[in-house]
Amino acid sequence: MARKKAKRVTSDADATTVVVMVLYITESGPNSVRAIANIEAICQEHLKDNFRLEIVDVLESPRRALADGVVVTPSLAKVSPLPAATVVGNLSDTGEVLRALGIRG
Amino acid sequence: MQPAPSSLTPSGTTAERGFKKAILRLVKGGPERLAIEAGQIDAIIDPTSGHAILLPDAQRALIERKVGFRSLIGLAFDWYWEQDERYCFVSHQGATDEAIGFTEEGVIGKALWDLSIDNLSETDWQTHRQQLEWRVIFRDLEVRCVDRAGEMRYVSISGEPIFDAQNQFKGYRGITRDITARKHSEAVVRESNRYARTILDGLGAAIAVLDQAGVVLSVNPAWHALAITHSSIADVACGSNYLTGCDNAGDDEHEDGMAIAAGIRQVIAGERSLFRYDYAADSPAGRLWIALSIAGTAGNNAARAIVSCEDITERKRGELLLDLERTVLRCLTDADTATVALKSVIRAVCESQGWTCGRYFSLDQSAGVLRFSESWGIPAAAVEQFIEKSRGLVFRPGAGLAGRVCQSGQPLWVIDGTRDAGVAPTALAPETGDEGAFVFPVTSEDTIIGVLAFSNPIIREPDDRTLQVVRSIGSHLGRFLRRQEAVDSLRRSESRFRALTDLTSDWYWEQNRDCRFTQIADGNPFGGADILGMTHWDLPGVVLADATWPEHKSNLAARWSFHDFEFATVQADGQCSYYSICGEPVYDESGIFSGYRGTGLDITRRKCAEIALRESEGAEVNPDDPAFAAAVRVARRALAERIADRVRKEYRPVNNDDGQPDLNGQASAKFGELLRALEFDRATDLRIAAAIELIGKTK
Repeated sequence: MARKKAKRVTSDADATTVVVMVLYITESGPNSVRAIANIEAICQEHLKDNFRLEIVDVLESPRRALADGVVVTPSLAKVSPLPAATVVGNLSDTGEVLRALGIRG
Repeated sequence: MQPAPSSLTPSGTTAERGFKKAILRLVKGGPERLAIEAGQIDAIIDPTSGHAILLPDAQRALIERKVGFRSLIGLAFDWYWEQDERYCFVSHQGATDEAIGFTEEGVIGKALWDLSIDNLSETDWQTHRQQLEWRVIFRDLEVRCVDRAGEMRYVSISGEPIFDAQNQFKGYRGITRDITARKHSEAVVRESNRYARTILDGLGAAIAVLDQAGVVLSVNPAWHALAITHSSIADVACGSNYLTGCDNAGDDEHEDGMAIAAGIRQVIAGERSLFRYDYAADSPAGRLWIALSIAGTAGNNAARAIVSCEDITERKRGELLLDLERTVLRCLTDADTATVALKSVIRAVCESQGWTCGRYFSLDQSAGVLRFSESWGIPAAAVEQFIEKSRGLVFRPGAGLAGRVCQSGQPLWVIDGTRDAGVAPTALAPETGDEGAFVFPVTSEDTIIGVLAFSNPIIREPDDRTLQVVRSIGSHLGRFLRRQEAVDSLRRSESRFRALTDLTSDWYWEQNRDCRFTQIADGNPFGGADILGMTHWDLPGVVLADATWPEHKSNLAARWSFHDFEFATVQADGQCSYYSICGEPVYDESGIFSGYRGTGLDITRRKCAEIALRESEGAEVNPDDPAFAAAVRVARRALAERIADRVRKEYRPVNNDDGQPDLNGQASAKFGELLRALEFDRATDLRIAAAIELIGKTK
């Protein structure tokens, strides 16, 4: 399963940086469920509409995870802007997530 | 943030600790290891196999989720099945497999069409197999079978094709649901609907079912049949909006349409349970009447109003004809002349039947032809011209419609000026004005005395009831006209009699069975006294000494007629008045004596002259005596009256060309001689005396 949440302000694309992320999960896994909830809360609070989040279920797409170098779920990969970063776990540490995304908490 | 559960903790079981070590060997990175230690990881991806390895908490969650999903799926279907590439069942599982004929052991190795299914034809199975060959998903294939208990069961089967990783067809899998209860419910509903439909179709009344918006949901065959002849409902069909049709009704039907639409809306809104409305509409077949009834209905279906239409044209026509008969009888009762009767009857017929005009042609018995007599028409120039042209029309029996009706005695009609029972249209123009006509005879005692002819652009072909009514009208009118002729004749006779009576008498009297006055006409001769209730011999001052009274009373007792009975009364001034009366007994319808009636004449002057002459006969005549001369003048006047009176009573006067009376009979010569003597030799007293003597002898 691959779900994408593409939300950004197109009218101000140049002035605002859009954060592109991929969240690797295991569907119905308790930590994956919490990770989804946590990242959505962080995006809502700190990124408003300036983010694009893709959710990948490794039970359906294990090769995609291996290709992206992901070995555990849940894992959040920041794709852009560079530098790339990865956060593993249920994303309950908001500060760690913000730092990985390049956002000062 | 949601707290992370403790998982794979060091205090776990030996198996868990072993699993942890194996997992940690797969993970090289520090953050991943820390996350695993913190219990924040659900799965690890084995880089060797590429498979995701679920950690215990995630595994339990997945299992619980699948169990819950299966539970939900179980609510949606009763059995799950799989078939191989040859469409033979390889599995068939369900929670209640004992309740249905499709048990696993009964279906494994068999295709669906190998089972005991009895509601699909060979064509149906071919269609199904074609679907399978096309590898399409099929849904809700409903089949019927018998379960172990011998009960008929219905199941619905849906399936989808299965393909392996190489996209190779591997068979079908799907679900089966027991829909027996639903089918039974549907059968009950279907039977109920069929029953309702049967009733609806069997009803003689035309029925249309409307929904909330007035859209016609269904109509029965009677409605279709009625729509053929009734244009007002011809456009009403399934899917049309009845209310819109009413709202958009044409000018002539606008008022009815608005009323009906309002009634239907009230019924649909629940403001009234029933709405009834009768209305009329014109059609090529004439005016038609419809009784409309709208009843509200409430239920689970869409129907909200039942419209029932009934053709009441026959009933209405019958009522109109009955009203027409009553109106005609009332017209004849109220009319005092034939003209009034004819006009009112013609008008009543025209207004009742919607015809423009009617004419009456009376049969001139002496000439043997029909002549225009009376007419009535609506106030229109064309009608008035048509009637005006009719005034000189004369028909011989057998000529034209009127003549043919007069000859045959049977009604005839022309539908529209071109179609009738054998008369050329051009020949009808003077009669019908190139329009429809209805002609029927007016009879009295089975004798035709005239013909009534009505005109209208279109005349509807009369039914038996109409023909019966026009015959009745013709008969009633004929009797009235005959009776009126008799009344007129009697009136003229009475007038003549009255005139003669006025010439021969001074008054007319009537008495009851006791010979007491009940009526005195043309004046009161007895001094103005109120004499009603008196007899002749009770009159004031009557001279009863006369010996003739007993004989007179005897005659009255014997109910004899009497003539010129003379009697005298003494007036207040002492003078005598002399009267001559005639009378005859009167009997009622039962032949019982009811009194006398007769006439009276004041003969005072004559009697005085006679007395004077008689008195003078005993004295010496001196022609120069003024008294004698006066007596002669009185006697001469009395003689003239006496002669005239006798002439009127005994000889029929016939007026000559010069207006002088001509006296017939044997005595005419003598009386003529006397009259001439009076005319040429009035001064000869002897001749006067001789005349008086002669009159006395002839009395």
